[in-house]
Amino acid sequence: MKTKTWAVLLPLLATSLTSCGAVSNYADHLEDYVETMRFHEKFNILQLTDIHWSYDSSTLASRNYLDKLLQQVQKHISDTQGAGAKIDLIEITGDQFMLANAYHVETFLKFFEEKAVEYGFLYTAIWGNHDRHGLYNPNWLSDQFGKAEHCIFIDPEDNLYGRSNFVINLTEDGTSASTTKWQLANLDSGASFSETAISPFRDYDYIREDQVDWWLKEHARVGESVPTIAYYHIPQQDNLEAWNAIHNDGATYKHKFFKLEGFADNGNEAYASKFIEEGRNHNLKAAFMGHAHNVDWTVDYKGVVLGLGVKTGTELYFAHIDTKDTDPAMVEGLASVGINENFDLIGAALVTLQDENNFELEHLYYNERATSDFVAWVKW
Amino acid sequence: MGQVVIMKKFFDREAFLLSGFDKKQKRQSLLVSLLLVLFFIVSAFTFFNALYGFVDAIGSIVSGSIDVALRDIVRSIPLILSAFMSIWALLLLQAFYRNPNPERWKKSVMKDSICLLCFALANLLFVIIGRFAGVYLSLVEGSPSPWYPLDSVLFSLIFIALGVLAILYVKRVAKDSPYVVPSRGEVRCKARGLYCTFLAFWLLMALFGFSAGLFSIFIYDFLHGHAFFGVATVIAYLMPPLFLAAWEFYYHELKMENKKRFLLPLAIVGLVVSIFAAALYFISLGLDRDAPSNAGFGMFPIAFAASVNIATMLVVACPLIVSIVALINGLRLRKKAN
Repeated sequence: MKTKTWAVLLPLLATSLTSCGAVSNYADHLEDYVETMRFHEKFNILQLTDIHWSYDSSTLASRNYLDKLLQQVQKHISDTQGAGAKIDLIEITGDQFMLANAYHVETFLKFFEEKAVEYGFLYTAIWGNHDRHGLYNPNWLSDQFGKAEHCIFIDPEDNLYGRSNFVINLTEDGTSASTTKWQLANLDSGASFSETAISPFRDYDYIREDQVDWWLKEHARVGESVPTIAYYHIPQQDNLEAWNAIHNDGATYKHKFFKLEGFADNGNEAYASKFIEEGRNHNLKAAFMGHAHNVDWTVDYKGVVLGLGVKTGTELYFAHIDTKDTDPAMVEGLASVGINENFDLIGAALVTLQDENNFELEHLYYNERATSDFVAWVKW
Repeated sequence: MGQVVIMKKFFDREAFLLSGFDKKQKRQSLLVSLLLVLFFIVSAFTFFNALYGFVDAIGSIVSGSIDVALRDIVRSIPLILSAFMSIWALLLLQAFYRNPNPERWKKSVMKDSICLLCFALANLLFVIIGRFAGVYLSLVEGSPSPWYPLDSVLFSLIFIALGVLAILYVKRVAKDSPYVVPSRGEVRCKARGLYCTFLAFWLLMALFGFSAGLFSIFIYDFLHGHAFFGVATVIAYLMPPLFLAAWEFYYHELKMENKKRFLLPLAIVGLVVSIFAAALYFISLGLDRDAPSNAGFGMFPIAFAASVNIATMLVVACPLIVSIVALINGLRLRKKAN
């Protein structure tokens, strides 16, 4: 009896330990990765990144900061675009949480749900490397984003690498039946991976081949000529290539803002992503990311604008910009923004889709101060 | 063959100290053991909390934002003090578990109770001053719980009560009727510093392993092909606390002569189990190298993305080290006996 029982139990156990459950092939269900919004001229997309709520964050202080930041952004939009203009979409590009728990997630979503109603925006959340670094099940976190009424988030049971790969098609009337004017591609740039089973260190992740293939297919569905902006968390190797081309080879690509630390690509050519390279041939206009808090450098690299968002809030780490600093990168950054006083490199980035082919980018540096808050908007 | 006979005697009632206890001693012993387990569990979770707060601040230092690290460490002091409180309560109970003689026991209990009171009072004071000094915008400003830091104040009050009770017990009850349960585990004199350091390291790994093991059951994504890695990791995490439990509640419950006889076979069993756990972990990682980051790595507070593997290797190494040390000691004892 015992032998028979084991003969039945062992294969069952082995199957349960190695099976993936019912997963679909992404290529067969491309429509499952699509949300739509109505496009209009001067469509405003606010990028918040690396908010980093953790065990030692004051969620109250952080909410106060975010609240004031949103007020500043709305005021700026109203001032420059007219009273009816507003934030249409917030792209939260990863590392919302690090060393956090369910309380942080629920409080975070409650805050954004309240603000979504107050300002009339929708928001999305893209996974960063640290969003997996908390006391909750990653599937639960996906469910929370998916369930939030004003949060656009899709994470199907599929064989596509990552958890927040989906597109938002900005169409004429807000339904998929009408023509897509812009596509926003959200990608999960992962966390890290081991080259071998005994590697003591892990490499930063990269946008994998199946993700590139998936996006190309999603883009082909709406038409090759549709302009796209991508949002993801970890900068890929193209950022470093552009930096080196300018600073080592004297290339003259348009570039602006600050780069005070390294980008986060793993530096290994075997794991370089082809996303930007492929995007260049498929009307990818820009890619915006986060991850490196002391970097908000933007460059127009061979036709694709690669930009790091401005780190949002004061959690974990951020750069202090000192006008007396003699570091060449700091001097170059200061000269590009034209600010003459010390400030902290925190705030947000605003993309405005002007029409069906052009966008504008502005960086907001927003610091809370005892007397009067520091606010500076800098155009790309 | 000899080993098999010894293995059979592993669970022989007469092999344990408990067989020589009277009824009252058995009752007291059971109560202390249960409290030790309870406070171990509380300590495991408070230690994990403190580690979470502390590691985030270390992340700030590593990234060059010392001002942010200081702000966060100051804000997290109640988390750190709560861990100290519960670990000190564990040490206080340990004094009841290992009491070489009544005088030394009294001294230990008094010393640990006073330390416990100091940590709890320091936390109370810190939160009150912190609220007035603006460290906290509110007593319930939130993170890591909606009631933080007020919850740490309530936690302190519990430990103040515990400390006062322990002092009153020594001063009043034990004065006339001293606590007399025989000691489990000898008090070492040789290389005591090294021994205590290793035990402290082992205790911290066990506290971490216990909470990480339990948390990972709930927070791990066992779907998406990560089940094998998930199970292997949970086993690896639970090894240090299981080994500590075997050490405290089995090995130290043995009579001295049995300790000497059983050490070598116990060490061999431990080594086999820990090698199995380590092998399982490395095989599962080899089969699913994306798992540590994609299945959720909340149980790796000591690791950032690049060092996740090292963190697990440390945990995997702990039972191996314990088994090897036990094996060396067992061989030494056998050589002596021969």
